Amino acid sequence: MADITITTRKNGLQKFFSQLGNRWAIIFLFLEIILFSIISPGFFSVKGAQVILINSPFILFLSLAETFVIISGGIDLSVGFVMGFSSVVSAKLIVAFVGLGMNDLLSIIVGIVITLCIGIIPGLVNGILVARLKVPPFIATFSMIGITHGISELLIKGSYIRNLPPIAGRIGNGSLINIVPGKTVSFFISPTIQRGDQLIEILPTVFVIPFIFILFFAFILKSTKFGQHTYAIGGNVDAAIRAGINVKTHLIKIYMLSSFFSTVAGIMYVFRYVTGKADAGAMFLLDGIIAVVIGGASLYGGIGSVWKTLIGCFIILVMENGLRMLGVPTFYKLIVIGIILIFAVLIDQLSPELIHREE
Amino acid sequence: MKMKKSLLWIVVLLLSIAMVAVFSLAGCKAKAAAEEEAAAEEEAVEEEAVKEEVEEVAEEEFTILYVSGIADPFMYMLGKGAKAKAEELGVNFLEAEYAKSWGPEAQIPILEAATAAGGIDLIIVVPTSTEALIAPLKKLYDQGIAIITADCFLGDGDYSVESNYSFPLAYVGTDNKLGGLQIADHMAEMLGEEGEVFIQNTNPDTSSVVARGEGFTEGIAKYPNMTLVGEEWCLDVQQTAQDQTATILQKYPDLAGVFGVNLFSAQGAYQAVVNAGLTGVVKIASWDATPDLINALKEGKVDLVLAQKPYEVGQLSVEAGYNYLANGIEPDKRIIPGFEFFTAENVDDPDMQQWIYQ
Repeated sequence: MADITITTRKNGLQKFFSQLGNRWAIIFLFLEIILFSIISPGFFSVKGAQVILINSPFILFLSLAETFVIISGGIDLSVGFVMGFSSVVSAKLIVAFVGLGMNDLLSIIVGIVITLCIGIIPGLVNGILVARLKVPPFIATFSMIGITHGISELLIKGSYIRNLPPIAGRIGNGSLINIVPGKTVSFFISPTIQRGDQLIEILPTVFVIPFIFILFFAFILKSTKFGQHTYAIGGNVDAAIRAGINVKTHLIKIYMLSSFFSTVAGIMYVFRYVTGKADAGAMFLLDGIIAVVIGGASLYGGIGSVWKTLIGCFIILVMENGLRMLGVPTFYKLIVIGIILIFAVLIDQLSPELIHREE
Repeated sequence: MKMKKSLLWIVVLLLSIAMVAVFSLAGCKAKAAAEEEAAAEEEAVEEEAVKEEVEEVAEEEFTILYVSGIADPFMYMLGKGAKAKAEELGVNFLEAEYAKSWGPEAQIPILEAATAAGGIDLIIVVPTSTEALIAPLKKLYDQGIAIITADCFLGDGDYSVESNYSFPLAYVGTDNKLGGLQIADHMAEMLGEEGEVFIQNTNPDTSSVVARGEGFTEGIAKYPNMTLVGEEWCLDVQQTAQDQTATILQKYPDLAGVFGVNLFSAQGAYQAVVNAGLTGVVKIASWDATPDLINALKEGKVDLVLAQKPYEVGQLSVEAGYNYLANGIEPDKRIIPGFEFFTAENVDDPDMQQWIYQ
């Protein structure tokens, strides 16, 4: 009898740990929100939420890129500088088109389309290097940092891009729905208002766009053949090959997708800050990778999901903006995120699934 | 299996300790601030009640927020001046986080977070970009917050003409172009009105340093035997400034003078000159009286330092803002405190010590 009780207790504990391994990120996020709501006046408010969301697009896009790459068993270090590269290219193109006498909005649209086409080239190169020429992802994408950074600096000659049409800033600083009570309602673009008019803003444009991408690509990763193949390659490459998956082509697609997301992040940068800058993404690159790992993806591949990454992103965003609202230097964020990262990896190693896999 | 489990317990324990530590740390600060605020409010309420009894006029309390450009001695000095003036006038004074790097991607999130809780009447901001700060500041202005730009400005800095960036109350800061012109004159004097000179600049996106470069360029053009060989942008990174100046020294072996437009570019420039063994041969004119540059001046590595008056900039900003909020007086669109020159001769002069950024 005694034996049986012990066994059940063991199972209960195991279950608890397994649950903790799966859920600790979201529990931590909730604790974080509750704590900041208590200690930081004005944090738990519409305004506070807006601040977090409007600062979210870069880390969201870069971590989305990393989610696909990391699940496939690789890593992409070039996302930050591909982002800078595309911010420079799109800003330069838009300014050039406006200079040619084109309509502002049309210049922006044409500029974006061309940038998207150029922006996937670094990914294509990364993919070919990794999949066909067997260069380790770390080295291949690391070289791409230098190449994209150098080209962007050459394009802007060590400076910034100026004279973008003002409409760009109004898109980047607008919201999905902007209401001036009794006067106007506008979508995506912030309205011109008189001083003192009340402005109600619902969901920043720069959050809505990445969120649409997240919805769509969460579906792609979870429920399509493309997604399943990504998990399969990350889980066990040999098995994936035996199962008849074209691993090389698939990996090239993954790196191109990663570059694509980084390019969109660069375009977002242009709208938000009305300029293009070669090192625009430098400070977001590590946050992007960390968010994926905190979210519970395994750096060995095969484990992770877009939604878990989203939780990882918000752990970082809430921390950063909460500390800012308190007026505490965000250096604390670096320390706390570092600690969380270690835990994330340790918990990942302790999770029952991985133990079973080892066995 | 057993080891793994104990390890897991340690992890959980550490996690909770770390979280409690970090949040109690942050919490203490917030609590202290909140208590102070509450105490101040109480006081204010009491005062108000007394005043109402006496003259039945309730005085309004104002809150001023200072958003600096980067964590450096100039910005700290500006904040100190503003804080002192705010205390003197009895207005609330808040400081947003000092950014780790110069640029809109660092400054705008700080600006937005600092204003999210509301309750701010005036923002004194050092805009790190002439363009990128227009949209977010306009948004705050539209909510009824008055804006003063200190040290740097939006657009071309002319707020008296109607434009999409003319909403700030005023620009408070040094006349950068005039400073550049006068540095050119001093440089000409040091070099006997002949020789090649070079500008080590920082950010083409930042109004203040661009104007310094323009002033210097114009000033040098007055001297027929002097040539400006170039202008480089180090983006506020000292190491880059050092590399760029070193390259120029290679290319123009007869170079006679360098103008470093702020502390990072000046420090990088003089280091390059020192490394090339040209101390004293190539004259260095610099901007901003940081302790480092003043020491370099004493050691003979730098020959001229222009001291701005950041403390006064802070004071004047708060004063102009207070007059506007309390009495509705519109300040001048440009408020310009002067500047001082440090040379090897006057650097130990007791009267000059007050202009060193502490």
